[in-house]
Amino acid sequence: MDRDEIFRDLNEVFRDVFDDESITVDEETTSEDIDGWDSLEHINLIAAVEQEFGVKFTMGQVVSMKNVGEMVDIIESQVS
Amino acid sequence: MEITSFYFLCFYAVLLLLYYVLPGRCQWVLLLAASAAFYLFGGNGWLILYPVAAVTVTYGAVRIMDAAESVFWRRAALMADVVLLIGVLAALKYVRFNGGAAIPLGLSFYTFSLVGYAADVYNKIAEPQKNYAKTALYGFYFPTLISGPILRYREDAAQLFVRHPFSYAAVTRGLQRVVWGFFKTFVISERAAIVANTVFDSYTSYPGVYIWIGALMFTIQLYTNFSGCMDIVIGISETFGFTMPENFRTPFFSKSISEYWRRWHITLGVWMKEYVFYPLLRTSLFMKMGKTLRAKCGKKAGKQLTTFTAMFVLWLSVGLWHGGELKYVIGSGLLHWFYIVTGEVTLPFWKKVLPRLHIPMQGKAADGFRILRTFFLVNIGNVFFRAASAGDGAKMLWEGVRVWNPAALFSAQTGLFSLGLDWVEFGILAVSVALLFVVSVLQQSGSVRDRIAKKPLAVRWILWYALLFYVILLGNYGPGYSSAEFIYQGF
Repeated sequence: MDRDEIFRDLNEVFRDVFDDESITVDEETTSEDIDGWDSLEHINLIAAVEQEFGVKFTMGQVVSMKNVGEMVDIIESQVS
Repeated sequence: MEITSFYFLCFYAVLLLLYYVLPGRCQWVLLLAASAAFYLFGGNGWLILYPVAAVTVTYGAVRIMDAAESVFWRRAALMADVVLLIGVLAALKYVRFNGGAAIPLGLSFYTFSLVGYAADVYNKIAEPQKNYAKTALYGFYFPTLISGPILRYREDAAQLFVRHPFSYAAVTRGLQRVVWGFFKTFVISERAAIVANTVFDSYTSYPGVYIWIGALMFTIQLYTNFSGCMDIVIGISETFGFTMPENFRTPFFSKSISEYWRRWHITLGVWMKEYVFYPLLRTSLFMKMGKTLRAKCGKKAGKQLTTFTAMFVLWLSVGLWHGGELKYVIGSGLLHWFYIVTGEVTLPFWKKVLPRLHIPMQGKAADGFRILRTFFLVNIGNVFFRAASAGDGAKMLWEGVRVWNPAALFSAQTGLFSLGLDWVEFGILAVSVALLFVVSVLQQSGSVRDRIAKKPLAVRWILWYALLFYVILLGNYGPGYSSAEFIYQGF
């Protein structure tokens, strides 16, 4: 699975979690850019991403990831 | 030794002088010695053994986690640290709740700072500290030991151990903030406290409108006391060259209770989110619950129900952190959970009804209403917080709505000026609160200190000296100047 494929699938997860078909995420997307991405939704998002890709984030990664690019880095390192 | 006492100011002046006279590499050692001295002379010296033990246990746990290869030992070390530190915190709070035993200064604050550090090392997002003395300085750096802010090792600790050359700008800026903290504490909080005490201590004699005045005065007292203490603590830290995390961002401009908790006691909220709320939602129990509820009640409702359950645990923890008493569990815990849940659940209803009644949900009027509503709800919580017990709090609120007596405020015997402050004192309080309000409004668009710093020298000096003399002349220092106690020092 390459990075572009991860982004494509991840985009679907975002649209599903935030109920918004207009979302398109890229490397630099942060919680500031998406309406409703607060601390509660963050955990729901993480759970959905874990289920979709069959990966597992550590608590440290959950609280310290800065943008979607970093999220993809972690997914990439586990699905390759 | 209170940090507002004359002795403390002398202690601090000598310390600041030594801090910049001694070689830079000694700075952190000096602060550690000063922190220990502050603890030893601050009250019951033996109690220093509690934070020393907490630092030692955390240091040991971190060393084990750093050296261990297996997850088992890393987890065991973290669990031991959490159980011991939180266990002591819970036990001492429980003992105090039952009327005995002295609580070591800063118990909840150093416990949370240290537990967060150990958890971050476990999660590999904080660098393990190899130096015991440096761990100790992080654990009880004296200004933040008193009432927070709760520190985060991975963000706040590094600056404590590096050399800080003297900076005139940093020292004056820090001192300006200290004066502002004194203004909040002595001019406003200590005055508002007099009225709040009169009403809360004999509320049966002060029904109706007096209850609401008492509640308002206590809210003003609590905010200016706690945030004033933070201004002093953060200001002192600035004079040492440190940037400490903010604990308040003008919370009374919040439009909802959730927003209020992102702006009031911020470091506690962040701590609870990272170390209680997130881990809880990530447990297999909650993951399963989320799945089941989503399948049964639909995606949105299922998600909400899971979140509300986790939030219940979160708010219960916030309430218990303040003390075992029911009044805290309600006043700064579950009542706020109830507010947030009610707000979320009734939102679709309001979205349907308000447009039909032609009431706008956006715009300045709606925002103004939301701010006032949030402020009112916070006041209700504070009645429980301040009352002698949860039962007294409930009775007070009932007396507040049962009796209608605003006219009594204008009578000569029972009027507004019979609550402990005469009209001059009330005038000083009103003018000072107005000043605080204006500054808070200005703060919405950036730092007020930065703006003053850009003014010509004469204007700057007049403003800061005016504030200083205002505090010296109008501070409510009490007979013979007994220093102010900080409310959150008790937690």
